[in-house]
Amino acid sequence: MKKNNSLLLSTPYILWMLVFTLIPLGVVAYYALTDPNTGVFTFSNITQLQLYLPVLGQSIWYSLISALICLVLGYPVAYFIAHQKPVAQKILYMLVMLPMCMSFLLRTLAWVGLLQDTGIINNLLSAIGLPRLQLIRTPAAVILGMVYNYLPYMILPLYAVIVKIDKRLIEAAEDLGCTPVKVFTKVVLPLSVPGILSGVTMVFVPAVSTFYISQKLGGIDTVLIGDAIERLFKQANNPNLGAALSLVLMALVFICTGIMNRFGSDEEGGVIV
Amino acid sequence: MKRTNRIFTILIFIFLYIPMAVLIVASFNTGKDITSFDGFTLQQYVRLFRDEKLLRLLGNSVLISVLASGISTMFGTMAAVGIHGLKPKMRKAVMSLTNIPMTNPDIVTGISLSLLFVFIGGKLLGQKESLTFWTLLIAHVTFNLPYVILNVMPKLQQMNPALQDAAMDLGCTPVQAFFKVTLHEIMPGMIAGAIMAFTMSLDDFVISYFVTGSDFMTLPVKIYSETKKPIQPKIYAMFTLLFLLILVLMITMNLIQIRGEQNKHKRRATADSKYARLAKRIGAFALAAVLVLGVGLLIFQGRSSTVTLNVYNWGQNIADGSDETMDIIAEFEKRYPDIKVNYITYASNEELYSKLSTGGITVDVIIPSDYMIARLKNEGMLEELNFENIPNYALVDDSFKNQHFDPENKYSVPYTWGTVGILYNTKYVAEEDVTGWDLLWNKKYTDKILMFDNSRDAFGIAQFLLGYSINTTDKTQLQACADKLKEQKPILQQYVMDQVYDLMENEVAWIAPYYAGDCMAMMQNNEDLAFYLPVDQGFNFFIDSMCIPTCCQEKDAAELFINFMCDPEISGANMDYIWYGSPVSEAKQHMDPVLAESDVVYPDQTVLDNGTSFAFLPEEISRYMETLFMQVRNS
Repeated sequence: MKKNNSLLLSTPYILWMLVFTLIPLGVVAYYALTDPNTGVFTFSNITQLQLYLPVLGQSIWYSLISALICLVLGYPVAYFIAHQKPVAQKILYMLVMLPMCMSFLLRTLAWVGLLQDTGIINNLLSAIGLPRLQLIRTPAAVILGMVYNYLPYMILPLYAVIVKIDKRLIEAAEDLGCTPVKVFTKVVLPLSVPGILSGVTMVFVPAVSTFYISQKLGGIDTVLIGDAIERLFKQANNPNLGAALSLVLMALVFICTGIMNRFGSDEEGGVIV
Repeated sequence: MKRTNRIFTILIFIFLYIPMAVLIVASFNTGKDITSFDGFTLQQYVRLFRDEKLLRLLGNSVLISVLASGISTMFGTMAAVGIHGLKPKMRKAVMSLTNIPMTNPDIVTGISLSLLFVFIGGKLLGQKESLTFWTLLIAHVTFNLPYVILNVMPKLQQMNPALQDAAMDLGCTPVQAFFKVTLHEIMPGMIAGAIMAFTMSLDDFVISYFVTGSDFMTLPVKIYSETKKPIQPKIYAMFTLLFLLILVLMITMNLIQIRGEQNKHKRRATADSKYARLAKRIGAFALAAVLVLGVGLLIFQGRSSTVTLNVYNWGQNIADGSDETMDIIAEFEKRYPDIKVNYITYASNEELYSKLSTGGITVDVIIPSDYMIARLKNEGMLEELNFENIPNYALVDDSFKNQHFDPENKYSVPYTWGTVGILYNTKYVAEEDVTGWDLLWNKKYTDKILMFDNSRDAFGIAQFLLGYSINTTDKTQLQACADKLKEQKPILQQYVMDQVYDLMENEVAWIAPYYAGDCMAMMQNNEDLAFYLPVDQGFNFFIDSMCIPTCCQEKDAAELFINFMCDPEISGANMDYIWYGSPVSEAKQHMDPVLAESDVVYPDQTVLDNGTSFAFLPEEISRYMETLFMQVRNS
């Protein structure tokens, strides 16, 4: 009786998810394997992908760097939040989450205003007599945009793991003669590995597939895979090649999350947002 | 150690909030530029509340978020309760299904859904319009569902299963037990999930961008499409208000959580405490209010006792009332009160083509360029116009009639026309260097040159330089052009389209090829800019014309609109905003004299005779060109 109810309640959802997440991926694969002109089966889209290898490499490179920077910046913040009083924790948590809910496009445009050659930072520099710098249209600007946009995705899962670390473990380590540095490296850091892994994944995935940040902040050489896909769909009218490229991106992401899950077998670690 | 960590955290929070502070400050700025604060004003907020179109877009965004979060909260809670009762193996399988939209990049989710809708709707069901409001709603519900489930599931797991059994022992039916006990326990998770889903929907850009059709557009998609002119400051005002709204939502969510916890500590045993009842009532009331609001908005949006005319135009290619121009659409609706215009935009001829050919949308008036008109005509996608309904066609100059793309003048009525030339800054570029397209290859100006970021225009320049036809289908010639463009890449600053405005006006770049009308607009903002047309080498001459596609539903209204746009007064007022040439010469009397007398926009006929327009290239050739261009860009 109870089992039947459970099935009854969950079946519509399972059907919905099959139709709107799994089958669409099948349609992507179908497009990737058909010719844009004739619609017949072909591998030509797949072979053309080699043209995009440098772009793919660059995307992976940028997003890995961003994920690392996010980790280095995010860890102390998460640690700090986790060691506040409960109410302060709630408030700080909310403050980390808030930017994620605001328009991603406008916040990126604000960075354009800050970084551009006649932007706020350069205006300030020249006001105090320093030379203007080229900030925008550089790889660094793209990485900055990624770090800025996805830093909360790093802080939140890190916080969720650090806050759960049993204080008695730390006290025990201290009692047994560990220096604060050793407590950190021997106890706290190993215990926060699941958070690190899910944080890195949660920064890497959106960063590797972004297409707006690089268009606005990047320069002539900072084409990313998301830009290439968007271009194939919206400008080149070649959804088939675009679909093939999306498959590559998807495979990359699933391999990456697969590796992360293998290292951290923690069930809840993954999704906290 | 603690202290440095505190300072570090504060610095990171400053980093996270600076860009938002910039936007909020910009909403009180009297000037338009985000980079300089000219004075304090609340005018932007007044403008925001007077701008019906902007509010409608915001309404669209709120509508879709309210509906999507409401539906996914109910659907998701139901599913979570079901999944919770499944066998562990089955549960694990369903949870990995739930994780797919969470781990998949947004761009892949967006593409896969749009391909699915187009595939099922267009190819299998033969619908004319496969991307609609409803498909957008399905997409939003799909990416919201996992958030609800992941918020509700932990609450179900924390719940003591004995509670429900106890309720049933006391005589509740399972349904009653659910509503009296379980629902109360999982309410905080539901509310958190709903709020999260709402904010995700409200801010979603990537997925909506790929799934949006012609009948319904949300605010982020609109913001993305407005690249040519700087963002209007009233959008910053809207950002500020949304910021406050989300702040309030989040504080509410936190208060509910804190209350819930206190409640739990104090009276664990009494499930039906005063607090719980209150919280439940508030929750139920909020959910009901949200749904009523959603349905109300839907009815409000859908009310249409009149004809709806779908006009599909280039982005920012019609005067919209900003900068003291005429609001053409509002003027049209005033003159024909029975017709309501739904105005949507595309970024390129190719986007227009792919939307039309895949059956993603249905529209009544389109404004493609010459070569695209030829293609649409060849593929039988254009309706013949009834010129009896377009008497103003007589006012269109004869020089724009009988064009190669429509030799018998059956399908198209010119909207604008122009040339492609070089915009340069006279302060930095020596006059003797301005001799032709070669200027764009001049090493003296390394890192100060911009180039077109679309294959057809970029190859066109190389073709003029190498003396080939711009309509060549010879692959070796195209390869030679690609080599020429590769040679140019090291000295370029950037491949651009509309960013050219910012870079040239602020003298970040000195030389750029662009469309004459836009160049004219930029020259108004920086007097050192000048325009050069390489008459001897040849240049591109283009005409954008209004056509009616075969998917049109309202042909009479469409023809009324086309006729209206040829009215000299309207055409003149329109050009004051877009700065291109009007095909109606009488319109010159109604436009800004600076524009009417400009030889940039209106060169002599002898000059124009040297221009060539793009012809339609076979699909295979244009894909080949795109591949070559991609190689150039990636080189």
